[in-house]
Amino acid sequence: MDGLISMNCIKCGLCNICPVFRAEKLESLSPRGKIIILNEIKIGRMKLDARIVKDIYKCSVCGICSIVCPANLDLVKFWEETRKELVEKKIAPLSVHRKVRDITYRDFNPYGGEQQKRSDWLEFKVEKSRTLYFAGCTASFKAHSIARSTANALKKLGVEFTVLGPQEYCCGSPFMRTGQRDISKMLFTKNLRVWQREGIEEIITSCPGCYKTIKEDYPKFAEEARIEFSFEVKHVSTVFAELMNREGKLDLAATYHDPCHLGRHMGVYEDPREVIRRAGVKLVEMERNRKFALCCGAGGGLRTQFREIAMAIAEERIREALETGTNVIITSCPFCEYNLSRVGGNRIRVLDLSEIVERIVSP
Amino acid sequence: MDGALHSALSRVCKVETHPAVLWIYRYDFLTIPKQLSRFVKTPICVVQPRNDEEVIEILEIAERFEVPIVPRGSGTSGYGGCVPLENSIVLDMKLMANFSFQNDSVIADSGAVWQELERAAKRHGRSLRVYPSSATVSTVGGWIAQNGYGIGSLKYGSVMENVEWLEVADFRGIKRVDGERLKYYVGAYGTTGIILRACIKLRDDSPIRSEALECSFEEAINKIEGAYHANFKDKRHLALEKLGEKDTLLVCYEGEGDGSEFGKRFWERRLYPLRALTTERIYSEAIVPHESASEFYERTKELSMGVEVVFSRDQVIFLGLFGRGLRQYLKALKFVKIAEELGGGPYSSGLLFPHKCRIERELREYKEKVDPKNLLNPKKAFFENPFSRILKLGERFLWMV
Repeated sequence: MDGLISMNCIKCGLCNICPVFRAEKLESLSPRGKIIILNEIKIGRMKLDARIVKDIYKCSVCGICSIVCPANLDLVKFWEETRKELVEKKIAPLSVHRKVRDITYRDFNPYGGEQQKRSDWLEFKVEKSRTLYFAGCTASFKAHSIARSTANALKKLGVEFTVLGPQEYCCGSPFMRTGQRDISKMLFTKNLRVWQREGIEEIITSCPGCYKTIKEDYPKFAEEARIEFSFEVKHVSTVFAELMNREGKLDLAATYHDPCHLGRHMGVYEDPREVIRRAGVKLVEMERNRKFALCCGAGGGLRTQFREIAMAIAEERIREALETGTNVIITSCPFCEYNLSRVGGNRIRVLDLSEIVERIVSP
Repeated sequence: MDGALHSALSRVCKVETHPAVLWIYRYDFLTIPKQLSRFVKTPICVVQPRNDEEVIEILEIAERFEVPIVPRGSGTSGYGGCVPLENSIVLDMKLMANFSFQNDSVIADSGAVWQELERAAKRHGRSLRVYPSSATVSTVGGWIAQNGYGIGSLKYGSVMENVEWLEVADFRGIKRVDGERLKYYVGAYGTTGIILRACIKLRDDSPIRSEALECSFEEAINKIEGAYHANFKDKRHLALEKLGEKDTLLVCYEGEGDGSEFGKRFWERRLYPLRALTTERIYSEAIVPHESASEFYERTKELSMGVEVVFSRDQVIFLGLFGRGLRQYLKALKFVKIAEELGGGPYSSGLLFPHKCRIERELREYKEKVDPKNLLNPKKAFFENPFSRILKLGERFLWMV
């Protein structure tokens, strides 16, 4: 299959640290193995088939491979570009990714939730504002408590914001990560139109996937379409760090799980930790933290298509969290919270940062 | 793949035959120039045993069908030890990764990853004495099979000196080897038996205090006494890593103390090696006795683009950075040749330097007893092969560089 991109890898194998490879232990699932195959395809010595495509999608695009790569290869970009090409050549998306795409074309969110109920979690009336709280699909349909706590905390911190409810559409992150840019662009257009109409200038997101997509991918779409894109985009952990002056005294020891899209992809490591410290939580770091943090296993379409692998990775992360001696994980991503809490069950409590902040700022 | 062979193996464990997957198993970290890749064979299949019984059954089948077996860990060594040179079955050991602790040692399966052992050891108040800089990914069996040196080797020596015993499998069954007989397996790249597990010595988990000292190599040699680990990088190497601009020695001691900030940073990078490497560069590794280290350093410093040095108890390991292309490859070879002239040699053998194996005759005699059909990782460790012949030929042209 001519035309696929290739990568000049030194084959050191240090990327075998990949959580998917560690769960499955077959070389075709290591970043090095995938690059070797893709390079062979590029020069025409090998042909793409369903198995290879499936293996390429066995990756949460967590980016740890890029961090440990001595040759500094930008592998996150490489995986996303490769997937994009597979979709363009109509060899992808995979079955469940395709199903989620169909659902999103119909409902504008990947969960098939009723768009009219998108802001059912909201407990108070919001006015028109230049600041938008973009709750994202997971918080809006699967993790109401995160959306609710975030909104309550922002309000208590004096942020005047609006929520667009049925006029908030999926940001397109799940599709960007799985190479389906056409639907991401469609969602970009729909969201942008509403934001312009509503006079939005600043966007606060709960979900690091939304944060990365709106902050990094949307400006590229806008540039392609020659549209101005001048929104200020912030992840809520940064807003909390900026505004939370009150020191808390929560009687809680917890560890913090760095979401890949917030940490490795966007470089936000310290804001959530600062908020946790100010809340008075005793923070006990896991051995793998910040840029070396282990992925929760959910991202990049992995949980959607290969749930067992995602759960195996989450299980390892939970074991690592429990080894800190605490049984509480704080994270700042609804999707991480969703995956970790489901796998962790009764063994561990998974909290979103907003739930901590809400407790501190509430009188 | 032969149908009868496939069927026999399938009864034991999962047999991987997808051409793309097999293609990956042609590689490890060794850079093989395009012109020489024809000497590498795509494996017939890849099997991943889960226990000793499966390994034994696979060996029986290989013997019955007279098909070579190439054992493989993580494939992170640069010596081509797991690169098949015959139509072989690749025995990927990564699914055998259990381990358990005794008082002063850990018994670890071949496929266990060093860093996972270290993490678990710390929970028992213990720590590995030595581990490779690729510990985040490399396996117990792989590093032992190449007899590596690494973190902690200054105090505790090579991995050979830290293995109490090995359990190995060959065509006659499973046996435990220790003492003098370890030399038939440690550094032999699986040519005499498949390493199933190892009993590895541990130390108390005392903290590590690290200092980074700006000093010349000559000075460095005199500053490492009593240390646990020492690693020198010349200014060119550090500049390529974007870590510093002066010759620097990292010297680490067991025990409490503050150390220095740069030392701490340097130490924390120990498991993220190769930072000076790009697709345009290769490493050549040589090992020399302590007494020849200064002379080796002086004689080779203009040859390479930068040098990193790892000190061990009785040897010094030099990693020289070179570019790509024939002239650079000759320089890399000369790096090893100079080490030989000074009583040292290549860091390991694999498929590159079997002709320089120091116990070739002993290994050959032993192999004839345990593997008369030469099915265990043929053409490696002490058997010449097309690669080693080309390197031998290359040695005639070292005058050019």
